[in-house]
Amino acid sequence: MKKISSSILEISHENMRFFAAQTKSKDVVSIEGSVLGGKNMLLQNKSKIPELAAELFDAGTSKKTKDEIREALSSRGAAMSFFSTGDRICFLASCLPEDVSFVLELIVECISDSTFPVKELRSAKERMLAELSEEEHQTHSLAAAALSRLIYEPSHVNYIEKISERKKSVELATRADLLSFKKMLGKEGLVLAITGDISPTKALKSSRAACVKLPKGTVVLTEKKINTKPQKALSELITVKDKANVDVYLGTSISLRYTDSLYVPFTIICEMLGGGGFTSHLMQTVRERDGLTYGVYASGAGFAGEADGYFRVKASFSPNRFSESVKVLKKEIAFFFAHKITAENLTLRKTEMIGEYVVGLSTSKALASMLHKIGIEHKKVEYIDEYPEIVKNVALKDLKKAAELISVETLSLAAAGTFPKKV
Amino acid sequence: MHSRSKKESIVSGISHIETVDGISEYLLKKNGLKILLAQDNSVPVAGFMVTYHVGSRNEATGYTGATHLLEHLLFKGSEKFNSEHKNSISELLETKGARINATTWFDRTNYYEVLPAQFLPEAIALEADRMRTARITEKDKITEMPIVRNEFELGENHPAEALDKQVWATAFQAHPYHHSTIGWKTDIEQVPISRLQQFYEDFYWPNNATVTVVGDFEKKEVLTLIKKYFGVHTASPKPFPSLYTEEPAQEGERRTVVRRSGVNMIAIAHKIPNAHHADIPSLALLAVILSEDKTSRLYKALVDTVKATSADTYCWQLHDPALFETVITLAPGVSHDFVEKLVKKEYENIAQKGVSAEELQRAKKSVRAYAASRRDGPYAFLSSINEDLATGDWKRFVTFPKSLEKVTTKSIQQVAKKYFVEKQSTIGWFIDTSS
Repeated sequence: MKKISSSILEISHENMRFFAAQTKSKDVVSIEGSVLGGKNMLLQNKSKIPELAAELFDAGTSKKTKDEIREALSSRGAAMSFFSTGDRICFLASCLPEDVSFVLELIVECISDSTFPVKELRSAKERMLAELSEEEHQTHSLAAAALSRLIYEPSHVNYIEKISERKKSVELATRADLLSFKKMLGKEGLVLAITGDISPTKALKSSRAACVKLPKGTVVLTEKKINTKPQKALSELITVKDKANVDVYLGTSISLRYTDSLYVPFTIICEMLGGGGFTSHLMQTVRERDGLTYGVYASGAGFAGEADGYFRVKASFSPNRFSESVKVLKKEIAFFFAHKITAENLTLRKTEMIGEYVVGLSTSKALASMLHKIGIEHKKVEYIDEYPEIVKNVALKDLKKAAELISVETLSLAAAGTFPKKV
Repeated sequence: MHSRSKKESIVSGISHIETVDGISEYLLKKNGLKILLAQDNSVPVAGFMVTYHVGSRNEATGYTGATHLLEHLLFKGSEKFNSEHKNSISELLETKGARINATTWFDRTNYYEVLPAQFLPEAIALEADRMRTARITEKDKITEMPIVRNEFELGENHPAEALDKQVWATAFQAHPYHHSTIGWKTDIEQVPISRLQQFYEDFYWPNNATVTVVGDFEKKEVLTLIKKYFGVHTASPKPFPSLYTEEPAQEGERRTVVRRSGVNMIAIAHKIPNAHHADIPSLALLAVILSEDKTSRLYKALVDTVKATSADTYCWQLHDPALFETVITLAPGVSHDFVEKLVKKEYENIAQKGVSAEELQRAKKSVRAYAASRRDGPYAFLSSINEDLATGDWKRFVTFPKSLEKVTTKSIQQVAKKYFVEKQSTIGWFIDTSS
């Protein structure tokens, strides 16, 4: 089979990495990229600054008003958005082939020249506060955030502050904070992937021409603090009125980074236990056998930027069967780690993951996303073809070692919903 | 672009009906199964889908949600593919990396596999088998019902879904669009297995289905496989139960309120005709102009000004007359009444003064991007053409974007005048009771 990497062009320039690949998707061009700069580089009370900046990048530059930016995109049928992760400001765009240069130039202009008008900042803060108030009713977000606080110490990058703390950070944000954050952003560590109905050579030329206009940037990635919070089986139940379903997270912080050799074996364990489909152990037992949930999933999270991440299991349960369901869930997780990590299951899961990988790369958008990830993780472009081999080469002993990182007895429980009187 | 020939195709027993924009339609003559092929060998991935022309519009009180519950039960195995043979759909296809699932909606139910192309024959064999030999047993219903009920409960956690159910239930009194696809909770819990078996027997036949194949395959090979596996079935021996209920004319504004802990929301809905009506392209572009992006009227009036955190307009294009619906999440401290008046004023403004040529031009440009995105990968193609199949004409996939090109500012003003009529409206408020 033809290697995917053979159809991808890559260039590096001034510490920026650009990828481009032509696909047969007519009229669709997907752009995904990022520059260094996020909440992990700021003080904790400034944690919402990158998010606000991302929200306001299209709200006016020194050359264009908000309306000019938005109408220019809309009149081309193009879409552009920004969002922040711990270490990065990311951008996503889609456009018609003839507008790629325009969209790239606009992304660069928004990142480097946004003015964060006072009125727009005030509105963005109000919107963000309103959305945080909405989150007070969202059971899945509440449970996910609560789990992070049970398993991480507050100084860790994966710790999610309480809504009240996040609101405070929004309220305190000033235009000066945003301008100062913007100064940090630039070429350093930029990754950009363009895929779709475009010649890769042309795409790379346009990318470089646009991105060289960025300032150098001042962000330096430093090594992240390792979580030292002892893992205990803690629990937090968050009562939210009038909810028909309880969202549940079980999880534990683990001493693992994506650069570690046990990372891929760990992801295979998560897939075996609770991968996205119907064949995982938890879907076969908690859902198919016992009918206790619509969905139960295991995954790793919080590994971005080489942080030590965590293992988590997510499920939804009926309130009146909450206690019984959690008991079964814990029992099945324990049973899996004791008895189901076998050579036979590993072989099955490898085939599944390799097939899923091929299927997952069948859109322009997914390919752009994968190339962006490769760039961020400092991998060679050939990794796109090597991944199936890496999975194939995982042995049972690797899985057993990875399993030792997860202590089932110390899984913490966070749940949100309307609970019956006796839980 | 378009070719029509009712000749025998490359495989005997299968007629080629027509080819439009790279999509070829065929008919398996023995049993009336329709086949759509869209070949694209650029990546080694294929998509296979069976769309049954049955959805929650075919249900009635007592068995609302039956189409969806039945969809779940079709994963419990069939005569040749089941867990005893170790070749259930999960074991046979998911273990090879296939993305498998099914969805149910008002007018259709679809089962699909997006998978490494070499496993396409297995997907075809399995879907053919479960078309007529699925196991629909009381034992499986007992374990599956709570799963579906939990899916219902998950939806109820979201104010938007709770409100939407009430808006449709208020807007439609006789027509089955009255109830949501998930059904009423007690029907999910108590529908007898015999009703589900009858439902399967009534609707799961080749001449009530369309098979769509997209991606990496060879036409002759795939048609041969379809003939081999689906050709074992006969056509339905009796006519399909028809829906003869029409929604009576609405004779006044309707209102509904959900008081529950959550977020304040408002929905404003107006009756519109079915997907094939000549006014639909104008209504569809009107929805784009109202809420598609940050230049849209409602975004500017509500989200940009922090009166709301979201504003979305939907022009529901269904088999039968449906709704044009705007759903808004209010910012804290903003009253329902204020936003309702503001949206109605915006509607009135369009009805009186129309939209600008620039607005229409932008909306049309977004159509080209939208049309292109529907062909970005097998899943996007399947899920998109599935909705056109549900309306009764797959060619909408090709013709609808073209019909949007013909929309004028005048036609948008005309549809605004025609459909933004108070007596045809249903207003829903979700009122947060937590504070």
